[in-house]
Amino acid sequence: MDVRAQVAMVFHLDKCIGCHTCSVACKNVWTDRPGAEYMWWNNVETKPGTGYPTLWEDQLNYRGGWELTGRRDLRLRCQTKASSFLKLFYNPNQPGLDDYYEPWTYRYQDLFDADAGDDQPTAVPVSQITGEVIDIKAGPNWDDDLSGSPIYAENDPNLKQLTEDERRMLFEIENIAMMYLPRICNHCANPSCVASCPSGALYKRGEDGIVLINQDKCRGWRACVSACPYKKIYYNWKTGKSEKCILCYPRVETGQPPACFHACVGRIRYMGVLLYDADRIEEAMKAPEASLVEAQRNVLLDPNDPDVIRGAAESGVSEAFVSVAQRSPVYRYVKEWELALPLHPEFRTMPMLYYVPPLLPISGRMGDGIYEHSADQFFSHLDKARLPLRYLAALFSAGNEDIVRTVMKKQMAVRYFKRAQDVDDIDPEQVKRVLREAHLTAEQAETIYTLTALGSLENRYVMPPIQREEAIEGAGGPGCSPELCKGTCGLGAVQPPRRGA
Amino acid sequence: MVNSFFFVGLPYIALFSLVAGSLYRFKSERFSYSALSSQFLESKKLLWGSVPWHAGIMIVFVGHLIPFLLPGLWQSLTSQPAFVITVELLGVAAAFTALVGLVVLFVRRILSRHIQSVTTPVDLVVLALLIVQILIGIQTAAGHRWGSMWSVQTTTPYLWSVLTLQPDLNHVDSLPPTVKLHIAVAWIIIMLVPFSRLVHAFSLPIQYLWRAPQQVIWTNARRIRHIAPVIRKAEESRRLFLKGALGLGTAGGLLTVGVMDKLVRFFSGPNMTPEEQAALLQKRLERLEMTAEERDLELERMRNDYIFVANLKELSPNDGKYFIDYQMRPALAYRDTEGFPLLISAKCTHLGCTVASSVDASGRILCPCHISYFDLKTGMPQPGSPATKPLPLLGWALMDTQGNILVSQAPDGRREGEVPADKLDASMVYIAKRYEETV
Repeated sequence: MDVRAQVAMVFHLDKCIGCHTCSVACKNVWTDRPGAEYMWWNNVETKPGTGYPTLWEDQLNYRGGWELTGRRDLRLRCQTKASSFLKLFYNPNQPGLDDYYEPWTYRYQDLFDADAGDDQPTAVPVSQITGEVIDIKAGPNWDDDLSGSPIYAENDPNLKQLTEDERRMLFEIENIAMMYLPRICNHCANPSCVASCPSGALYKRGEDGIVLINQDKCRGWRACVSACPYKKIYYNWKTGKSEKCILCYPRVETGQPPACFHACVGRIRYMGVLLYDADRIEEAMKAPEASLVEAQRNVLLDPNDPDVIRGAAESGVSEAFVSVAQRSPVYRYVKEWELALPLHPEFRTMPMLYYVPPLLPISGRMGDGIYEHSADQFFSHLDKARLPLRYLAALFSAGNEDIVRTVMKKQMAVRYFKRAQDVDDIDPEQVKRVLREAHLTAEQAETIYTLTALGSLENRYVMPPIQREEAIEGAGGPGCSPELCKGTCGLGAVQPPRRGA
Repeated sequence: MVNSFFFVGLPYIALFSLVAGSLYRFKSERFSYSALSSQFLESKKLLWGSVPWHAGIMIVFVGHLIPFLLPGLWQSLTSQPAFVITVELLGVAAAFTALVGLVVLFVRRILSRHIQSVTTPVDLVVLALLIVQILIGIQTAAGHRWGSMWSVQTTTPYLWSVLTLQPDLNHVDSLPPTVKLHIAVAWIIIMLVPFSRLVHAFSLPIQYLWRAPQQVIWTNARRIRHIAPVIRKAEESRRLFLKGALGLGTAGGLLTVGVMDKLVRFFSGPNMTPEEQAALLQKRLERLEMTAEERDLELERMRNDYIFVANLKELSPNDGKYFIDYQMRPALAYRDTEGFPLLISAKCTHLGCTVASSVDASGRILCPCHISYFDLKTGMPQPGSPATKPLPLLGWALMDTQGNILVSQAPDGRREGEVPADKLDASMVYIAKRYEETV
């Protein structure tokens, strides 16, 4: 058993209102620089929709993630070690500017310098790459709220799973359903970007599992850009280096949640430590698609199990980390309640960002907006949902509808349970029956409700400990200082990121 | 003077710049080492620029490197005209490919607004120099043919003389101006490497071929503990090796002891007690007796025209009597329903076992080895038996007590002579040599 700690995340999609505050917070902190304008380490997509970069989920085009070969070998979809050398000169799977958008700003000075006239002066958009006036054709969330549009939503690769009928129903006027999908780097446990990097610049931090790029080692070969199936690595066209979400590690190291977490208006985000067994990852990632979610859950370890605590000590995970893991909200959502699911587990990277699928667009199919409340038919309208379960299964469980249905039942049961408490218009026997069918106890339903609806800052973000003593220990002893072994002191670039000649 | 600047001074400036400049840049400005790809901004023209350029220049570069590093081998190879023509053609083709790529890259850099925003003056200088250099190279290949042959006597010793710090201008003095220009531009390009994007050539990620797919870096104590398992693993494998070696050694030792024992015994001869010797001699005697008996039987069959089988009255129709026929094979003798003898070979036609003597209710005899039933009257095997050929019937002769042949029968069933029924019981059955010869 090789116990490792991972700072993991849960996004509760039922609470996401699609306000993009997270994206703006991230942009202002990290990517407001030349060459990084087009990067959205955090972005919020409307689903069904094509996402950012356009059609990032289409791995036939971008060839990201891992694939299982006939002989049950896990290999990168984008390259072999030999072919990676050919792709140094030209990578056919790298997304280009057209797949993102041309970043722009406005010439605000025009507002001041304009001659007096009858019309209001306007600030014309100019490209942030060339400085020329451009006609804006696309943006980072260009298909925001555009579910049902034939040029965006209908091209969503996940819709391939639906029947013709289901698709038509989904996009019918007055029946259109949609959901928001905020995305950041998943800080995967089996990252394909790390495996693809020819220079060895990408690495996973041992202590907390954050995936980072050593900017001094990166040579701009761009293999990671196509290897990441979530397209969460961006190439800085100015510095010639790749960049990605760093999970605000300078904040995390000082006990603060990342900027996007902190800014989240809907309080949809949870952060906590997960313990997992690194020895079991490879086998789990070779599971058949339908059982990938289950296989991934099995890699996660129970932080209260004495064997795991002993294993953690042997593997060098500190007591402080274990005690944080024991209070982790992420562990509860992912493993204890099995409510949170990985995004596209079929990419086989074992993402460490989990999503609670949204219940609201699921319900609401019944006439006049009144939901069925009798216990007999309580769960039956799951299968008549506006946003078909099969669509959610394509997103969160590699097509296994049973897993999504179970999650939905639990969420519905919690609501039913709370309605019985607060409105008191339901027979308690029926509540018990619904809870039983959803495999929940009343106590569990209560805690799910509390953490979901009332979670305080301390409960939502159970941050890993600040381990200054370890950094000091490393600097002095036979280990190595952060600057030496990671190429960074944790305070950002030591030199200004100047482009090479 | 000009010569000594371009072929002695410039080379040392260029080499110093290459080594010191690249190292300094790596030490102090490591961030600036990058391939500086612009595929993100423009990819269609890049495909037709970058790929042919890199493919072409790598072939050309290797072609320039081998005569310099392995002049002996190269000279022996270029003594074959076919090799020279192939190499020159390949080189020129690669040079044209690289040229096409460069021109596309240059045009792309000039025309695309997006690429312009990431273009530095040095980029353009390097691109222009490379285009010029390739043009001069092609001109050299066309105007001063078979450079693959003459370079070994001229440029190779010149380069070595520069590298070994004993610059010798004699090798290049007499070269045509085109070639001299080619060499001078090469030194300028080398000089510019650390100041341009050309440094990315040093970043060729060879280590990717053998590194593990996942990289995890610890700063805390885990880092040290992480190394511990590696050491433990090494210790473990050493222990395993020792164990294995010990096991193999023991097995080998035992084997040697056994072999030595046998060898010693073989050469020193057996060492037996009197009882063992007696038992051994007894066995040998028995074997000799058996052989003698066999020889007797053979002799008897060689000398006599008739061999006694049995008295007719001893034979029964149900249980045969074994005897040995003229060919030393087992055979069986019965008495048929008419009272005459019936002789049949007992060597199964399948794999040669001896057939059992008793006759079952349907008149068959059985070979017990693989269950072949044979019809006693005809010798035919029962269909489905392993044996497919019939057991041959044997001829016989009946004699009275005085030795007169009363009646005889050939294997095919022809019978000669008559015998009164009362004399039948007293007659004796013989096999006859003449029938064997006809079989």
